[in-house]
Amino acid sequence: MERRLQQIFFALSLLALALIVAAAWQANTPSWKTYQRSFLQLEAQGEPNAVAKAAVLATPPVIHQVMLTGLQRVDRCTTCHLGVEDPTMKNAPEPFRYHANLGPHIPSKFGCTICHGGQGLATDKDGAHGNVDFWPNPLLAKDYIRASCGRCHKEGDVPGVPELTEGRHLFETQGCRGCHKLNGVGGSIGPDLTGEGANRRAPEWLERHFLTPNAVSAGSAMPNFHFSKVQARDLTYYMLSLTNEDMGSYYSSVRLIPGPEYGRQLFVEKNCIACHSVGGVGAKTGPDLLGVTTRHSTQWLDEQLVNPELVYPGSSMPEYDLETNARKALLAYLATATPDDVQLILSRKTRAWTPEDVAIEAGKQNFARFGCVGCHGTELQGGVANPNAQGGEVPSLLHVSDDYTKDEVIAIIRNGRAPPLENTSGPTPPLYMPSWKHVLSDEDINRIADYLWSKQQKKESW
Amino acid sequence: MNLIREIWQSIVRRDPLSTDKGKSELVFLNVWLHIHPAKVKKENLKFRHSFYLGFITFFLFLILVTTGIALMCYYRPYPPQAYQDMKDLQFVVFMGSFLRAMHRWAAHGMVVCVFLHMCRVFYTGSYKKPRQFNWVVGVLLLLLTLGLSFTGYLLPWDQLAFWAITVGTNIGSYAPLVGGQVRELLLGGHSVGEAALLRFYVLHVAVLPAAMILLTIVHFWRVRKDGGLSRPVWKLKPAKPEALVTIGAPATVAPLQAAPASSSKTYGLMEVVSGKPIFETVTPEEEEDTVFSYPYAFVREAVALMATVTAIMTISLFFHAPLEELANPAKTPNPAKAPWYFLGLQELVSHSALLGGVVAPALMVLALLAIPYLDRNPSRRPVDRKLILWLFAFFVAVNLVLIVVGTFFRGPGWALVPPWVHVVGGAE
Repeated sequence: MERRLQQIFFALSLLALALIVAAAWQANTPSWKTYQRSFLQLEAQGEPNAVAKAAVLATPPVIHQVMLTGLQRVDRCTTCHLGVEDPTMKNAPEPFRYHANLGPHIPSKFGCTICHGGQGLATDKDGAHGNVDFWPNPLLAKDYIRASCGRCHKEGDVPGVPELTEGRHLFETQGCRGCHKLNGVGGSIGPDLTGEGANRRAPEWLERHFLTPNAVSAGSAMPNFHFSKVQARDLTYYMLSLTNEDMGSYYSSVRLIPGPEYGRQLFVEKNCIACHSVGGVGAKTGPDLLGVTTRHSTQWLDEQLVNPELVYPGSSMPEYDLETNARKALLAYLATATPDDVQLILSRKTRAWTPEDVAIEAGKQNFARFGCVGCHGTELQGGVANPNAQGGEVPSLLHVSDDYTKDEVIAIIRNGRAPPLENTSGPTPPLYMPSWKHVLSDEDINRIADYLWSKQQKKESW
Repeated sequence: MNLIREIWQSIVRRDPLSTDKGKSELVFLNVWLHIHPAKVKKENLKFRHSFYLGFITFFLFLILVTTGIALMCYYRPYPPQAYQDMKDLQFVVFMGSFLRAMHRWAAHGMVVCVFLHMCRVFYTGSYKKPRQFNWVVGVLLLLLTLGLSFTGYLLPWDQLAFWAITVGTNIGSYAPLVGGQVRELLLGGHSVGEAALLRFYVLHVAVLPAAMILLTIVHFWRVRKDGGLSRPVWKLKPAKPEALVTIGAPATVAPLQAAPASSSKTYGLMEVVSGKPIFETVTPEEEEDTVFSYPYAFVREAVALMATVTAIMTISLFFHAPLEELANPAKTPNPAKAPWYFLGLQELVSHSALLGGVVAPALMVLALLAIPYLDRNPSRRPVDRKLILWLFAFFVAVNLVLIVVGTFFRGPGWALVPPWVHVVGGAE
């Protein structure tokens, strides 16, 4: 028995040794080493002589990684994707192919996963591509990669990605915020969309959801907005870009790309034409802006926009709180502005605005921006289905002054309201008026009421 | 040659192992081995008596200490780096996932083995006089093991860890008066966050292991002082209660005096001091039955050690330690479950927070601690203890059933869902 036990001890010790060797072998033969060997062979083919070939092949295997503290990630993708920055690898097989058209987005500054998704820390294929359990963002399909541009470029136009601009525009104008919160602002009938892009939701799911909400999410309270396929794609792009990540200052400083289109938008928004003219078209209070970019240096103009009085004492031009890229965009527009274009801008403004007009316009903006239009309609027509609410739909606001005073309406906006029931024993209607007092200031709510009253249609009296 | 012999003799002072004196000296001249007696009862070494569960538990603890120290070299106890370090162990540290898997599986194994060890000790009635207090120490060690496992559970900082600890500490907060404060003290706040991770880390790598080592020393020491391993139940004779010899002088007996030397018996130091035999119910026939610890006890311990190590290594080679997504306080999994050994508790809590979360576990622990003092039956033979054995078996069964139900039969919303039914949309 004792002898047998000693033999067992000896055998178990050998087994333990074998297990350690097995574990070490397992640890020492990761798949990335195989990829690096094939890459070296590919590289060696280009070498002129045997000595150079041998030198290339003797390169020790090593994990490549890009530490991106600003993006809070470490990308090890280049451990296998070795030719990403090497133009001679243009026609190489994957995973070694050169990445063309990167522009300023060099891998050493941006890594890979910020655009492509996947798991940057991983060093095996399935793990890195995120096709594993418990990794929320697998690689984005080719059709949707450009949505990632919106992770950094959060404002203005993103060249080459009109979907993002359009999606953002749809979101802000179709009243999505009436039900959904984004960055803390919005209703709470639907889910908060602040980190929607970081959820493990297939882009196709989102797209189908926008086309027919009920088809993918049974019993969803979300009305069918009858979006076109293009619009659904645009909104999907926008949703995918909403990852709520903390981008380092290097990345967030470029969130707005200074292009003339955005500059024109600012030119209209800030109402520059109220004082300035372009080629004689416009007001005469300020100097004519045609060719202003050739008359002054960019630096001078930029300074002028930041602090007009400093550059030109006694200037009556107000200080506009524009950030660096917004100023660049404005200057880009001024470089291309023509009298015809300004005429076009002017033609939309028929007369000077009175304070009442300003209040109503602000109310209209709020009505759209905070999502009231989602249920009450862009023309206050209402009509979104709301089963078992009185009338079976969200009420039109065109005749609200017949039944309520302005103060009553303000109270309803402030405190919210459950809709009166059609059938008191029936189910609770899915949609209700949320309370806005924590989101909107009293000033904002009053403006909305002003807007509503400006649109009231008196009932025909006969 | 002389120098080499001199060096050797300066290290090893015992007689050659071929002699009985050498075998004894190997044990009591060696600081590491002298916790053993020089001679042990052959019958006590039988596998079917103790299943070596105490040893295996201790060896698992040794594995945990060594792998744990290695893991500490790669771990930063603050979020979200803690999670990234797990990924680094998996993807870039040489043998990192093997190391983590060994630590994980050894930890689960230790919880299981401590429990099984307790069951064995209960079955053989080994908590009875004079070993009552060592049972109490053992129960404390069980609680420490659970505490170590629980604090370690949070460290990977993934969804599994975050929500298991959230649920686990919530169960604790149901205790009246102090529950909330204890939870706050443990977490360093009102919810699981950075402070909680740091505190759990400190508990896991310093406070609890230190307590564990101290109590383990007491536990081992008491095993010796209480007369070594208990006799296997099959060796126990149906004796009249008063005939049972136990150590520790009863008050009625005459003052201690040195036992008269017998030329036919070797005496241990303790026997000389106390005037009492170390072993319970020592008879001359049984004296024949003793063997030297070397090699009989040591080879068995060595086999148990290697069996434990190889078992853990084999499991770790094929099964990685689990790691879910990065902890996200905004995304509650449904259902959120505590670590498996607390799922019985969570199951009880789902029926009644106060009864299940506080009263039942408190009574359970108190009952365990009090068992050696409540059980007045002096006999250790299972035939004399049928009722209490059935009661204990029932206690174990209830625990197991609750854990199994909590682990496998609870779905979203803690609804009863058999494991073979897939809940559609359960993850969302």
